[in-house]
Amino acid sequence: MSTGPYNYSYIFKYIIIGDMGVGKSCLLHQFTEKKFMADCPHTIGVEFGTRIIEVSGQKVKLQIWDTAGQERFRAVTRSYYRGAAGALMVYDITRRSTYNHLSSWLTDTRNLTNSSTVIFLIGNKCDLEGQRDVTYEEASKFAEENGLLFVEASAKTGDNVEEAFLETAKKIYQSIQDGRLDLNAAESGVQHKPSQPGRNNLSNDQQTNRDNCAC
Amino acid sequence: MADILSETVEQEDLKKFEKIYHEQLSKNDVTIKAQFDYAWCLVRSKYPADIQKGIMLLEDLYTTNEPGQRDYIFYLAVGNARLKDYSKALGYARSFLTIEPGNQQVISLERTIKKKMEEEGLMGMAIVGGAVLAIGAIVGFGVALAKAK
Repeated sequence: MSTGPYNYSYIFKYIIIGDMGVGKSCLLHQFTEKKFMADCPHTIGVEFGTRIIEVSGQKVKLQIWDTAGQERFRAVTRSYYRGAAGALMVYDITRRSTYNHLSSWLTDTRNLTNSSTVIFLIGNKCDLEGQRDVTYEEASKFAEENGLLFVEASAKTGDNVEEAFLETAKKIYQSIQDGRLDLNAAESGVQHKPSQPGRNNLSNDQQTNRDNCAC
Repeated sequence: MADILSETVEQEDLKKFEKIYHEQLSKNDVTIKAQFDYAWCLVRSKYPADIQKGIMLLEDLYTTNEPGQRDYIFYLAVGNARLKDYSKALGYARSFLTIEPGNQQVISLERTIKKKMEEEGLMGMAIVGGAVLAIGAIVGFGVALAKAK
């Protein structure tokens, strides 16, 4: 889009999935705006957010597709899974049904993404301890059995929200370093943007020279 | 390369939902879901003719199915913005916001549309600037011709 020098070296594509009302958009909003949306209406289709983060000294732009949880959108939202480098799979710790549906979300994710896609399980609304319907141990075991990263988080208080997004990026970056993720593959979900060092400096220098000119 | 107004649908996905829609159409029994799924893919196409068709399908849904109006207005705003009919797109976004004033998804869409307008406004000026230079060159050429006589 822009021809100017990029201020990041990589783009990672994320998707956020899970049942309706588990707080996917609130997690995204907390991560991108550092605010809690108290009154969060149902997402229409998909919502999009970005944020630039730093992983091992590299600037990474996260492009996050937050999918609507309502069943009627599910057929088309599946097309957004393609080429995701990271998938945040969310359930609500106070509603058991949202946890019970995880295997169906996981099947979709495995079928529609590639083998190097990092899947992070998030048990949202951990601030509502009194209404808990799914134990930490149970979800943790499910995550372990399926090779998923896992935290309980709260979009309301912000607890563990940063961690989930950043840990996913770290894991993706590791896969690149290890050579497990092929940057040239069309559906890796990662783009490398070589930075152009010195370009800004050059124009600054020219500016300085002009200012110093006595004529 | 990616935001809600510039990401494009994969052809295979568009074809998939097109097929479902046309099968139902041939039986004269199109479901709201099939029409919406197809329209949603069409407004994300890279071809303006597809987007136009998607808008028509959404306008039709809007008048026939009240419960889904929220979804249709949103994608009517997206479709019109993609066709660069920004005033119409902003009109849809604003009418959405009169009903749901705090909707972040629509506020963010409105922001993206305005950003696109600004970017293209600058591009428009660049084109005008280019035209002025071109006219200048023609005038200069005319002067040179007159002098040669």
